[in-house]
Amino acid sequence: MKKLIEFELKKIFARRLTQLALAAILILSALLGFSSYQNKYAFDGVSQEGTGQTAVAINKEIAAKYEGPLTDKKVKQMMSDFAPQTDLHGLNAAYLYHNAMQSAVFARFSDLDGNWNGLKVSDVFGNEEIKIGYIDGWLSTSQNMVKIFLALSFVVAIMVAPVFCGEYGGVDNIILTSKYGRTKCGAAKAAASLIATLIITLITVLSNLLLAFILYGKSGLDCSILFAPMPFTEGYIPFNITCKTLIIYQTLLAFTGTISVCGITLLASAVSKNQMTAASATAAIYLLPAMLPISETSPLFRYAGLLPVYHAQFVSLMSVEQMSSDLLYALWAIPAALIFAGIGIFSSRKVFSKHQVS
Amino acid sequence: MELKTTELTKTFGHKTAVDHLNLSLSKGVYGLLGANGAGKTTLMRLLCNLQRPTSGKIFLNGENIGKLGQQYQNLLGYLPQRFGYYPNFTALDFLLYAAALKGLEERFARKKAKELLEAVGLSKESAHKIKTFSGGMKQRLGIAQAMLNDPNILILDEPTAGLDPKERVRFRNLISAFAEERIVILSTHIVSDIEFIAEEIIMMKAGQVIDLGSPQEITSAINGQVWECVIPTAKAEAYASAFPTVNLRNTGYGETILRIIADHTPVENAVRVQPNLEDLYLFYFKGDTEK
Repeated sequence: MKKLIEFELKKIFARRLTQLALAAILILSALLGFSSYQNKYAFDGVSQEGTGQTAVAINKEIAAKYEGPLTDKKVKQMMSDFAPQTDLHGLNAAYLYHNAMQSAVFARFSDLDGNWNGLKVSDVFGNEEIKIGYIDGWLSTSQNMVKIFLALSFVVAIMVAPVFCGEYGGVDNIILTSKYGRTKCGAAKAAASLIATLIITLITVLSNLLLAFILYGKSGLDCSILFAPMPFTEGYIPFNITCKTLIIYQTLLAFTGTISVCGITLLASAVSKNQMTAASATAAIYLLPAMLPISETSPLFRYAGLLPVYHAQFVSLMSVEQMSSDLLYALWAIPAALIFAGIGIFSSRKVFSKHQVS
Repeated sequence: MELKTTELTKTFGHKTAVDHLNLSLSKGVYGLLGANGAGKTTLMRLLCNLQRPTSGKIFLNGENIGKLGQQYQNLLGYLPQRFGYYPNFTALDFLLYAAALKGLEERFARKKAKELLEAVGLSKESAHKIKTFSGGMKQRLGIAQAMLNDPNILILDEPTAGLDPKERVRFRNLISAFAEERIVILSTHIVSDIEFIAEEIIMMKAGQVIDLGSPQEITSAINGQVWECVIPTAKAEAYASAFPTVNLRNTGYGETILRIIADHTPVENAVRVQPNLEDLYLFYFKGDTEK
C-alpha cells in the first residue's frame, strides 16, 4: 500500500500542470505579500512619513507608545496626539488615515471633525479587555491569504482532477486487471490525493506566514483584532480574538477548505471522462454557494457557511458565533471537511472499482 | 486449469459484440483471428473482467470469475490493444508500479522487472522516460508488464503491433518459452505470428466462434481450394477481382503469380497448393473489413 501511495504521489507531482499551478500559487503569495508591504503608508502626524518598510517602522514605533490594554486614558491621549492639523474639507474624520493606530482610534472614538466623540472603551467594546499594538501587517497578511486560499482551492482541483479519470485514457486496462486494481489502488489514489493536498496547503500556508514574519515580525500577534484600522472594521469578525488566534483559525480553515475540495474533486474525477470535466465540475460545485441568495445574517448561513468556499473566505464563517471565549463556530468546518473528504474518498473508490473499460 | 465461457454475450446498445459464446480453454496458446469488429477485443476484456457480460458467465475451474475477484486477477496478465502510460515514468518505474498493483514484493518485483526488460530488449532503456519511447518500445514494455506476475492466464491483444520483424521473433520465442502449463490467448492481425505460436486457432466472426482447432485442422477445411497460377501482368487485376486473391507477386518478366482461393481451377496452368492460415482468413473474411 505504501509503495502504491508513493507511486500515486509521484504521478500527481510529476504532472506539468500541477507543477505550474503550485508555482503560480507561490508567486501569487509573494506578489500579494510584497505589494501589500510596499503599499503600506504611515505619517506620524509630525515629521515622519513613508511607505513600505518606512511605514511599517513608523507604525510599529507609534504602536509601541500605546501598547497594552486599551484604556479611556489612552484613547484620549491618542485623540489628542492624532488630532487633524489641517481642514478636512468635509471628510468624515473616521475615514482619515495617517497611520494604523490613528485610523483604529478614529474609526471608533472620533466625531466627524476628528474630536473625541465621548464614547468610552466600555461603550464600544463592553467589558472585553482589548490589547492593542501593531496588527495592521498581520491583518493584511490574513486578507491576502483569503485570495491565496481561494486560488489554492482551484490548484487542488487541478491537481486531483486527473487522479481517477486520468487513467481512463488506457492505463485503466492495466490497473483493473491487476490484483489490487479494484481495491488498494483506489485507496492509494485517495490517500495520495489527500496527502498531496495537505502538502501543498502546508507549503502555501508556511510560505505566507514566513513572508509575514520576515516583513512584519511577531509584533501584534497577541493583540486584539477588534482595535484594527478602518479597512478591517466594517463587516469584520466581531469577536475579541488575538491576531494569532485569527491566523490559527484561518490556517485551520485553509486545511479544511482544501480537504473538502479534495473530496469533491476525487468524486468528480471518478465519474468524469477527463480531467477538464472533473476540474470544471469541482469549480462549479465550489463556487455555487457564493451564488446562492443566502445572506450572512440568514439562519441558513450556519449551514451554507460550512461549504468549502466559505472556509477560504473565512471572515463570514468566523463571524457566525463565538461558542465560548476561545472557540468559534468556525470549528464546525472540521467535521464538515471530514464529511466532504469521507464522501469523496468512499464514493470515488466505489466508482473506480466498478469502472467498465470502454 | 480450465477457463470456460457459457452463453457469454455482450451487447452495446443494439450491437452484439459477443454472441452466446461457449468456449472451453485449457493450457496452451490460443490465437484469436477475426476481422475488425468480430468481437475479439470485447471477448478479451470480458475474460479479463474489465467489462461485465450482458448475459452468460465465465468460469475458472468451475468458479465464476466475478466471485473469484482478486484471486482471479492475481492469475491474470493482460496487454491491451491500446494502453496508456505515464510519460514521466521511466520503464523501470512503470514496471515497478505495475508490480505494486499486482501485489509483488518489492525486491522480487525489481529483480523480475529487470529480467523482463532484458527479455524484451529494453534493459538499456530502463532508466529512460517512457515519453522518449517509440511505439514498438512501448509495446514491448506493455508485454513485460503483462508477464510480471508470471500469470497463469496471459491475454495479449495485438501484441505484435508496432514490432519490427526482429522484435516479433523475440516475442514469439518469449511466449513459446512462457506458455508451458499456462493459458495464453493472443490476437494479432499478423497471421504468420499466430501460425508460429498458437497451438489452437479461434476464428471469430460477428461475435461468434466459427472455427476452432489446430492450424492444420482448421486449414484442412479449404484443402484443394488454394491455387497458384502464373498469368500475364496485364490480366492480373481482372483475375484478382474475379477470385479471392491471397497474394499477388509480380515476377518482373511481364508475368504475375497469383494465389487464389477457388472451388475449381481458376486458370489452366493453376497448381493446387497447401492452404495456410492466411488463405483460411481470406476464405472466411473475404466480405468483411480486413485488418
